[in-house]
Amino acid sequence: MSKKIKFIILALAVSATSFAGKLNVVTTTSDLASITEIVAGDLAKVSSICSGNQDPHHLQARPRYVMMARNADLWIRTGMDLEIGWEMPVIDGSRNRKIRPGNPGHLDVSTQIHKLDIPDASMLSRAMGDVHSQGNPHYLIDPENAKHAAQDIAERLAQLDPKNADTYRNNAGAFIDRIDKRMEEWKEQMEPLKGKSIVTYHRSWLYFCERFGLTIAIELEPKPGIPPSPTHLTRVIETVQADEIKLILQEPWYSTKAADRVAEKTGARVVTAPTYTGSDPDADNYIALIDLIVKRLTE
Amino acid sequence: MKYHYSSAILVMAGALLTLNAVAQDDTPEKVPTRNDSTSALSAFNPAVSAIVDMYYYNENSKEGLSHMKEEMPGFAGHSHGEDEHDHGEKENGFNLNHVELTLSAEVDNYFKALANVAISEDGAEIEEAWAETTGLPWGFQAKAGKLFSNFGYINAQHSHMWDFSDQPLIYELSLGSHGLNDKGVQLSWLAPTPVYLLFGAEVFQGDNEMMYVQKENDDLPKNDGPRLGVGWVKLAPLQIDNHELLLGLFGASGSHQEVHEEGGATNSFDGINWFAGADAVYKFDSGKAYDQGDATVQAEYFYRNKELDQENGDEELTGAQDGYYIQGTYGILPRWRGGLRWEQVGLTNQEEEEGIKKEFSDSWRATAMVDLRPSEFSQVRFQVSNGDYDLGDKGVENVWEVYVQLTFSIGAHDAHSF
Repeated sequence: MSKKIKFIILALAVSATSFAGKLNVVTTTSDLASITEIVAGDLAKVSSICSGNQDPHHLQARPRYVMMARNADLWIRTGMDLEIGWEMPVIDGSRNRKIRPGNPGHLDVSTQIHKLDIPDASMLSRAMGDVHSQGNPHYLIDPENAKHAAQDIAERLAQLDPKNADTYRNNAGAFIDRIDKRMEEWKEQMEPLKGKSIVTYHRSWLYFCERFGLTIAIELEPKPGIPPSPTHLTRVIETVQADEIKLILQEPWYSTKAADRVAEKTGARVVTAPTYTGSDPDADNYIALIDLIVKRLTE
Repeated sequence: MKYHYSSAILVMAGALLTLNAVAQDDTPEKVPTRNDSTSALSAFNPAVSAIVDMYYYNENSKEGLSHMKEEMPGFAGHSHGEDEHDHGEKENGFNLNHVELTLSAEVDNYFKALANVAISEDGAEIEEAWAETTGLPWGFQAKAGKLFSNFGYINAQHSHMWDFSDQPLIYELSLGSHGLNDKGVQLSWLAPTPVYLLFGAEVFQGDNEMMYVQKENDDLPKNDGPRLGVGWVKLAPLQIDNHELLLGLFGASGSHQEVHEEGGATNSFDGINWFAGADAVYKFDSGKAYDQGDATVQAEYFYRNKELDQENGDEELTGAQDGYYIQGTYGILPRWRGGLRWEQVGLTNQEEEEGIKKEFSDSWRATAMVDLRPSEFSQVRFQVSNGDYDLGDKGVENVWEVYVQLTFSIGAHDAHSF
């Protein structure tokens, strides 16, 4: 074998096992990646399948994701069926047995959180739209739930990498303290909106609104996953007028056409805010994300 | 068409189905909730789903398009057994393609398994029944049972996943309505390279209705299985956010027998059928909601070659055919897609029997479709095709085809591979 070929093989082997010694963590969504980065510091290489601008319901199990999952030591997911359309083909395709569900390398962050919107099993039907049987999966937009996530992630990292266990736990503790401190400020900023009704596009904002005392009067989507119909928009306009709603809040990947129509008829303000880290240059980490949502709502 | 009003009724029915999804007057009922975290679903139950696939179909050929396809020189169905039932045959009017029942689950710590039974009005057929390893090291994976070969792009997809209501001509004419779907084993290896590089090798029993047939005939040897080997490689060279490109090369070789009855004489042939080709798929994710602006372009080229020896004589029977398709889809509106497909078969189309070499010409078909996916679980599709089919001595016949297809899925939420 010539030296050149040997070098190429060596280079391939190195690239495949790069960051050796560092934990390789892959998260399904970018908010989980940001929390993991805060908890792991320099001890892990963290990447997210879903960029902040993509709706995590609707991804395809692309070869690129298979490549990301292939060398992961830990796979972290939101759970509650958010990733159901693409997660298993990615994990199967990666041939990475460490990250299959049920193994220490697979973490579902939803286990500890207080779930909302859990449909009554006896009433559950697909006619309700894209309803998740285990409840509304957009829980990380509530900073209190981000604290639970940080704790879960720290415990799992400690289990996989026991010699750095204290660092992970301390980092998670510091993150929780920071959230607690910022929470007072966020609540203060959101005070003028407390008790007010708003309109949202998808039910992505439920946990956030619960935390800060906002009421969601109606969604622009008639049912989860179903785009606004003209009849439904009429109903939205009636609701906005009846409840004197001033705000329509929506995620960045939806067209603002429906919201603009309602705004035009009612004078309500349309606010587009990110729901995931990285979808806006100003929301490059989890705390900046909440900062930005609060700022957009209150400016 | 016999009844002139029927097309009008069909269009109305299709429009109503579409309208039902587009302008549904939804009562904004609140989802009843309860606040505990126990899930109603048990993880130990296998995921169960049923997919109902049906269509209205009409074509205007003189003798029936499926009959014509069996007469196309070069692709002619010498290999069709007399008693063999062709499941791809469509009737003018309403067709229930099939109901597909799927059960899947992790078997244990080592395997996952899936069973898929397609039930049609003529009976049930096992489309897939396999177990796949989940714990092999170094990027290996093995799969055994009855499975779709993973060569090319469209072969491994169930019919309800296709972007058009029918399969490309070259697939239908070469491998039949089920593609290459057989009992066997598959071994694949994800190479530890910085780009996605997947190698696969498959060994099958070699029971295909078109290209890999064993005949009952005293002159012919009884060939033991496995009689078919397939190899493929897939490469995804791009690592860009919203773009994905997947390229593939494939080849296969296996045992094939034919019996020709001409002018009172019966000639029996035994030998090798092989095929090779390439596939490419590009997908663009616009990032917009409800698949608006998403685009897909895919193309496959397929070349096949036959080399058979006469068992009750000294003659040879050889042939070579090829074909390709290229198709694209685009999310024209939220939940609506439009698609175009162009395909040709028989650009190479020759046969040599008893020293006489014959060259045949090619056939083509152009297809347009529009579909609506009201949700993840339902789809309505309208499709129109027009094509010229070369029938050798009978000349060329132009045929129009129309589909209105409905696909419903109940049960577990599907997760699709790329």
